Amino acid sequence: MAKQLFEWDYSSYAGAKKYPNLFSPIQVGNLIVPNRIKYAATEDNLNDEHGFITDADVAYMRSRAEGVVGGLCFMQGVYMDPARKGQGYVGQAACWDDKFVPGLKRIADAIHGEKAIAGFQLMDCGRVGAVEVPSGHGPSTVPQRLRIFKPMFEMTVKEVEEMVQQHVNAAKRGVEAGFDVMEISGIVGYLLSNFVSSYTNRRTDKYGGDLRGRMQAVVEIIQGVKEAVGPDVPVGIRLCCEELLDDVRGNTPEESLETYRIAEQAGADYLSVTAGWQESIVPVISRDVPMGSWLHLAKRAKGALKIPVQMAYRLFIPELPEKAIAAGELDFWEMCRSMIADPYMPKKVLEDRQNEIRHCVACNLCLARLFRDAPMTCYINPLCAHEHDQGFYPQPVADDDKKNIMIVGAGPAGMECAYVAAQRGHEVHVYDKRSELGGTLIEASKAPYGDEELMTCVTYQKTLAEKYGVNLHLGAEVNADLISEEMPDAVVLATGPVYSQLKGVEPGDKRVVNVLDVLGGRAQVGETVVVWGNRKPGIGVALSLAKQGKKVTIVGEDKSAGFDINPSFKWRYAIYLRQNGVNAYNDCTIAEVGDGQIIVKTFDGCKFPVKCDTLVVTEREANEDLKSAVQGEGIEFYVIGDALVPRNLSSAVHDGYRIGLRI
Amino acid sequence: MAFDAEKEIYKTWRSKKAAQDEIGKMYMRWRQVALDLAGEKANPLDVSLKCSEIMGREVGKSWLPRMSFAKGEENWLKGLTMNYVGWWSTLGASIKAQPGEKPFEVFLSWNRCPWPTFCKEYEVPMEEDVLCCDAFLKHILKDVNVFFNVEYDIETLKAIPRGQGQCLRRLFKVEK
Ligand SMILES: Cc1cc2nc3c(=O)[nH]c(=O)nc-3n(C[C@H](O)[C@H](O)[C@H](O)COP(=O)(O)O)c2cc1C
Ligand code: SF4
Repeated sequence: MAKQLFEWDYSSYAGAKKYPNLFSPIQVGNLIVPNRIKYAATEDNLNDEHGFITDADVAYMRSRAEGVVGGLCFMQGVYMDPARKGQGYVGQAACWDDKFVPGLKRIADAIHGEKAIAGFQLMDCGRVGAVEVPSGHGPSTVPQRLRIFKPMFEMTVKEVEEMVQQHVNAAKRGVEAGFDVMEISGIVGYLLSNFVSSYTNRRTDKYGGDLRGRMQAVVEIIQGVKEAVGPDVPVGIRLCCEELLDDVRGNTPEESLETYRIAEQAGADYLSVTAGWQESIVPVISRDVPMGSWLHLAKRAKGALKIPVQMAYRLFIPELPEKAIAAGELDFWEMCRSMIADPYMPKKVLEDRQNEIRHCVACNLCLARLFRDAPMTCYINPLCAHEHDQGFYPQPVADDDKKNIMIVGAGPAGMECAYVAAQRGHEVHVYDKRSELGGTLIEASKAPYGDEELMTCVTYQKTLAEKYGVNLHLGAEVNADLISEEMPDAVVLATGPVYSQLKGVEPGDKRVVNVLDVLGGRAQVGETVVVWGNRKPGIGVALSLAKQGKKVTIVGEDKSAGFDINPSFKWRYAIYLRQNGVNAYNDCTIAEVGDGQIIVKTFDGCKFPVKCDTLVVTEREANEDLKSAVQGEGIEFYVIGDALVPRNLSSAVHDGYRIGLRI
Repeated sequence: MAFDAEKEIYKTWRSKKAAQDEIGKMYMRWRQVALDLAGEKANPLDVSLKCSEIMGREVGKSWLPRMSFAKGEENWLKGLTMNYVGWWSTLGASIKAQPGEKPFEVFLSWNRCPWPTFCKEYEVPMEEDVLCCDAFLKHILKDVNVFFNVEYDIETLKAIPRGQGQCLRRLFKVEK
């Protein structure tokens, strides 16, 4: 008889009527899961250097558990070997000894406290492991392509057998800690995927050779774990449906599908479908990959398996999994980044509060931070990884401390600050000379390769501003007179950047245009274009113009193009620039602007001409406007976002949030 | 516009030449450092061969991200060949690649190479140049072979430092 851990009745929720499939129960092994929602295992680098669970991780998990409204909530994959070869992240949780059980129990308890099902993941990071030790282990000694990873050494048969046993022992500890579901991670370049792949497994013994041999370790682990945890604890596995490693002779899609069948035959209770490795040279989960692009893999898996099929990978809106489940092409909606960005994402779907979702913008900063041994943060969610810190939550202000706040600028910095301050009880007025919300994001979101998704931030902020009673004054320009007329208690300048001027170029020169006017479709642009500035705004406008068939060259002072883009996404832009024939002269300045050409000057003084009908300015500076007017009145004031230092959307949101908390 | 194209090109060309010259000299200076530290008992050729081994592996590793099997082995071999050609051209050699008669065979010929000149200037035996170059080329293939699960080798047929007018090498798939 299948058991259900917690009672959930979604019938009164509008979201359940809208998405009936997402909120319908399903049996996994001998467990009834009340809905089709899963928070997928997510490393957060929040645990201590020995692998013990911290308060930060417990709080992080508790909020995600609340978010899944009764569904599956998985903690990060744990490493299981005392030698720490399997440890891929400095703050990864460990489970190689009983001493870790009490900490792990805190997580299981926190998840159960939200009436959600607690999932435990076993994850030896293999090829991308050994973060704290000089070398790692793998089925064979295949060198690393990326320098950030450690050299690998081939495991002996005895070591493989020990590794299998480590999985079994860790699973037992997971059950002892109170977890309800076990998951084996065999994805993205971690140890088990190394065994499965023809790219990294060159063994000729029982753990190598043909696909059956390469799957032998996985089969032994599934069987061993199942036996150890008993019939009441479902055991699932995450495996690649496509490794996307054709360039290094990885498994074919047919072979991958066969691994699914073998895992099912070995006793897996569900399969979580994944795509690509960290080493794949194909984009998989960044913003340039449209949402839902990988769902066909779930369909393929469903066609081959009887057990439930789960999948994440850019399913950022409920419509996609709802439709796929209805069509019989998927069973579970997994989420990782959409719940990093908003832990309550599925809860908001259930409660029909979709406009209140803070959407992930698929920038991969969270991943980039992990690879650089930093605790997780989110580009768009300032509270992420601070869930344990009460100082990061908007606290109500006492009646005496309530202020009348004037925020100048309705871009992401101003709006973030506005709703947070209003939520705390202040009277907030936002002014913007434009008639729309969004500031420079309106134009920035017109750049290609998925940037339209950036506008989700505006929808979210607008909804919350309305919810908390922010007063919007659009089409209203603020000047010194208005400030002294209104005499607010505090002023926040979120006016955006000012655009730099090139020496020797007269204002009004038709050859020189501003990036906002170009992306906004208001500027006349010639066929041969030079973009001044090699950060994200420059790259965005350059790609947009190149896609219109123009010949585009970027000139900028940073050593490489995209200095402000995190490395986990920057490589995509490097490829798109190349594909679109955009040359970038980095470490260079513009020495002169002439008719039909400009003169570029390299950092070491060489000069050369570049053809140019139109020069697009994207270089920005801090905005000093209104500062002296506010200072003159002696009003409490703050400068945030690009007005303070031109950076990116993330800095704008984080600045706004923090000042909103402090004011 | 005050811009003298010839002057600017000359400046750039001159600094490229100077950089190539410095790279060779830097190698020779470090060779001397290594020999001094190794002491009198060490055989200079052994020290230089060790260096070739380390450099070869490093260079081979740096090529991995730029090579792909996605379009088959022939294209992959083209990629490998272009990496050899590009590396030497950057350092100031004049090098050409031609397919051999057998499948997966390429001949690389150097009509000009800066290294014998450096050897002369720093009084390094010419044979050391040949052997080190040989070791360097072979060690590039070490990680490349393992990474892509192939077996390629490279052999020296002629060498400028041996007075043969050109360096000629055969890059080939090892027959099993
Ligand atoms: C920061 C981060 C940490 C992750 N950690 C894990 C992990 O511990 N175990 C695992 O199996 N997958 C891990 N993943 C992969 C995710 O679970 C998920 O499969 C992937 O991010 C795609 O889903 P998404 O588009 O919803 O983010 C991680 C992903 C991210 C972004
Ligand atoms: S850091 Fe970027 S990719 Fe990661 S969850 Fe936040 S918005 Fe999404």
